[in-house]
Amino acid sequence: MDPIEAVKAKYADQVLGTGTHAGQPWIDVKRDRIVDILKTLRDDVGLDMLTDLTAVDHLNQGLPERFAVVYQFYSVKDNVRARVKAWVPEADPTIDSASALYRSAPWAEREVWDLYGIKFNGHPDLKRLMLPENYEGHPLRKDYPLTGRGERMNFPRYVP
Amino acid sequence: MGLESMLPDGVLTSRIEALVNWGRKNSLWPMPFGTACCAIELMGTLSSRYDLARFGAEVIRFSPRQADLMIVSGRIALKMMPVLLKIWEQMPEPKWCISMGACASCGGIFDNYAMIQGIDRFIPVDVYIPGCPPRPESVIDAVMEIQKKVERESIKQRA
Repeated sequence: MDPIEAVKAKYADQVLGTGTHAGQPWIDVKRDRIVDILKTLRDDVGLDMLTDLTAVDHLNQGLPERFAVVYQFYSVKDNVRARVKAWVPEADPTIDSASALYRSAPWAEREVWDLYGIKFNGHPDLKRLMLPENYEGHPLRKDYPLTGRGERMNFPRYVP
Repeated sequence: MGLESMLPDGVLTSRIEALVNWGRKNSLWPMPFGTACCAIELMGTLSSRYDLARFGAEVIRFSPRQADLMIVSGRIALKMMPVLLKIWEQMPEPKWCISMGACASCGGIFDNYAMIQGIDRFIPVDVYIPGCPPRPESVIDAVMEIQKKVERESIKQRA
């Protein structure tokens, strides 16, 4: 079953755009019913593997929203790939978690939370994955200063 | 001199400081703090082709409590710095530190939020090795510099 048709048939009001790139279909959606859409793709279309979950910061690019959470799928049975992009606004950077659907989602969502500051509602254990637990801020956001905010100088000097 | 003529055969006179430093400099026990590609060059230095054993520094200790020379080889990230500090504090005096390569010495090409711009901001470094990564000859040179430094030091300086 074609993923674009399957999502359009059930959630036409959620779809912002569709297309095909390099033989792989992509679907732009609103974030509100993302879990239902992912469930449709998994159960009806057969995209049984979430190969990657990441985010993009489109700061000052005139796009619908600032953040996009990107889901990359692969169907082991049919050998096809597909991509879903859910737009997340800057004012309220939250989206529902896909952890209940895919076993590969929790850590990927932790990484996105760590580096972009997008909260995943319903995540079983949303804590930082890469950075130290006491780190403040989300450094992969485009408005985060490249050399940081002084974190790298924030250590005690050894005194013999 | 002259004193030996009054002593029985086989007895030599020396300063205790010279004797202790001679012992220290010829049996340095390095602790490798290897985090990146510099550590691979360090392994090359230690193995048969370059053979750091010629300088008495072949006993690599992975416990800081048994070492007296820390070789920081590789980039130190934000998350690694507390570990580095703790390990340096665990090493007993006297101890020396070699900052190996561009990343450990100044951050190298990584000038971003997550990279320490030189470990000498937080722990004392005795010898820096330039290079990215440095060749084994440079590491040997640094060990020899440490040996010279040990030789010159007063044992009162180091507890």
